[in-house]
Amino acid sequence: MAHTIITIGRQFGSGGGRIAVAVGKKLGIPVYDNELISRAAEQSGFSKELFTRSDERRSLFTLSGFFAPWRMGQGGGSGENFIGDDAMFKIQSDVIRDIAAKGSAVLIGRCSDYILRDVPGVLSVFISAPMEYRIRQISEREGLSAEQAAALIHRKDKTRSTYYNYYTLGSWGEAAGYDLCIDSSILGVEGTADAIIAFARAAQEARP
Amino acid sequence: MPDSRKGFSASGGAPTALGTQSIPSLLRQFAVPAIIAMTASSLYNMVDSAFLGHIPGSGGLAIAGLTICFPLMNISAALGTLVGVGASTMISVLLGQKNYASANKVLANEITLNTVVGVLFTLVTLLLMDPILRLFGASDAVLPYARDYMVIIALGNVITHLYFGLNSVIRTEGNPTLAMKLTIFTVSSNALLDYVFIFPLGMGIRGAALATILCQAMALCYSLKHFSNQERLLHFPKGRVFQLEWRIARDSLAVGMGPFLMNLASCVVVVLINNQLRIYGSDQAIAAYGIVNRVMFLFVMMVMGFNQGMQPIAGYNYGARLYSRVKSVYMRTARWATIITTAGFLIAVLIPETVVSIFTSNPELKASAAHGLTIIALVFPIVGFQMVTTNLFQCLGMVRKSIFLSLSRQLLFLLPCLYFLPAVLPNPLEGVWYSFPISDLVAAVVTGLFAIGLLRKLSALKDGESPATLGSSIQ
Repeated sequence: MAHTIITIGRQFGSGGGRIAVAVGKKLGIPVYDNELISRAAEQSGFSKELFTRSDERRSLFTLSGFFAPWRMGQGGGSGENFIGDDAMFKIQSDVIRDIAAKGSAVLIGRCSDYILRDVPGVLSVFISAPMEYRIRQISEREGLSAEQAAALIHRKDKTRSTYYNYYTLGSWGEAAGYDLCIDSSILGVEGTADAIIAFARAAQEARP
Repeated sequence: MPDSRKGFSASGGAPTALGTQSIPSLLRQFAVPAIIAMTASSLYNMVDSAFLGHIPGSGGLAIAGLTICFPLMNISAALGTLVGVGASTMISVLLGQKNYASANKVLANEITLNTVVGVLFTLVTLLLMDPILRLFGASDAVLPYARDYMVIIALGNVITHLYFGLNSVIRTEGNPTLAMKLTIFTVSSNALLDYVFIFPLGMGIRGAALATILCQAMALCYSLKHFSNQERLLHFPKGRVFQLEWRIARDSLAVGMGPFLMNLASCVVVVLINNQLRIYGSDQAIAAYGIVNRVMFLFVMMVMGFNQGMQPIAGYNYGARLYSRVKSVYMRTARWATIITTAGFLIAVLIPETVVSIFTSNPELKASAAHGLTIIALVFPIVGFQMVTTNLFQCLGMVRKSIFLSLSRQLLFLLPCLYFLPAVLPNPLEGVWYSFPISDLVAAVVTGLFAIGLLRKLSALKDGESPATLGSSIQ
């Protein structure tokens, strides 16, 4: 396969991260998760701390620049050059575009489907799973009770959707926004990865 | 490793220059437009006050009326920024992703939301005008002046909101020169109309209010026309886009909430100041404070202009781990800020009468304002350092410290002083005046302690080193 770019959005606990890694391994192409994207950005001269920091604060209230009182419009600059969350998002977007321009890749999260929406041939995938399945996965992986796992899932999904919806003005996880949406509980990690690859191949052949 | 950054074109040309160009030239480039904008908005207020102070026959009452209206107008401005900042931020993010359709939708929604919020403010203010003005410190003598002024300002409120809102969007879409021209236009035409309405036409304080609204209306018309051009990337789209979308409204209000609360807090302080001045002094003391405030504001705004210019430079270089450049821009900005506030101090101490005579010809008011000015400016030379250091914490993302330091000067230390000093001093009015330098001094000392810690750690870091130690031990 020539240039293959697959973006993967996922519900927390759906196994989306592992599926992405499996897709990358089977295709022999690099997989970029949050950490790798940050590292790539770091090579641009920005410190990783800024990224991890900006990643952890994802309620609308903190996103909001609640703590940026000097953005007040009255007669001054709006501070877009300032390394706030919005500037971070811009740097991240640039890094993601850079990665996509360089060659085949699987990109996890970070609104990469939206950032690359105008790049032809990018396949955007969203992976979901029923709540019971995700609770089982998370309680096993993190050693939590079912209630704790459910609460964690709820919180993480909320964080992801707030982040996504704020920056894209779209709807996180809404089927119409993606090329392919899969329930990972049906085929499991390996099976879902195979299905995504099959779809990607078919899509590439269908393209003129 | 500054060189690893060079191959990386993605963050665009300007940010790279932030890491390489000389600090003085960068500061000039970023600070000068901000200072001009800040000074312009400060001049706007000064001109209004200067004309009002010379209304024939009103003595200090007109200017006292205006001073009573400040916090109310600030609340209105705060509501405008509540919508405007949020919408500009969202538009800026969407434009950055070339998502023009969504950016246009946010722009259209901003108009609707601003109108709704603006009309609500107008209704509440008009219905509760007298009780509000009394709460804000208006006496029977001042009330008519304050009311005359505020009724017109309240009626034109939607215009004011839309004018400021669109001006900030114009800046966001990368057109700072146009935004500046519009600001300069409103400042100069306001001065002209103030003169015409107040003197030849004899409209008094109403004339000043009318001039303000008319000038903003003219600038607003231009902005509306600017965004109606369908060929611009950012414009009012056709269709039912003005219909408010819940999530756009929610997001932009959430984004603007921080600045709004800060503005609101400063209004509360001004209301307390006015009331203390009325209780322990007189209407004249309020008028005197109004004049002093206008004078000091000019210098404070100039420092804020420097702060704005420093933000992208310090922020970028911190992100790029070029700590020596962070320190260099901080030192340079602090030096300039100190020069500015020292100039303010010298003027206030050496020629207070001359300065206040810009605003009034009434000899008693002149004496009282000059007296207040000298006291308030007592420790002003260190205020520049305090403001710039607060800004440094903000630039480095240490937001809690930055907020604490910024509140310390204007709220945390000022409120108790205002409250208790008049009660314990033999001359209560002096207590109100002295509250300002005392809280400035305490805030500067606290800020100095914070700054020593930060600078020591910053100096220990070599360029290129991870700022982890800095972040963890400081925050």
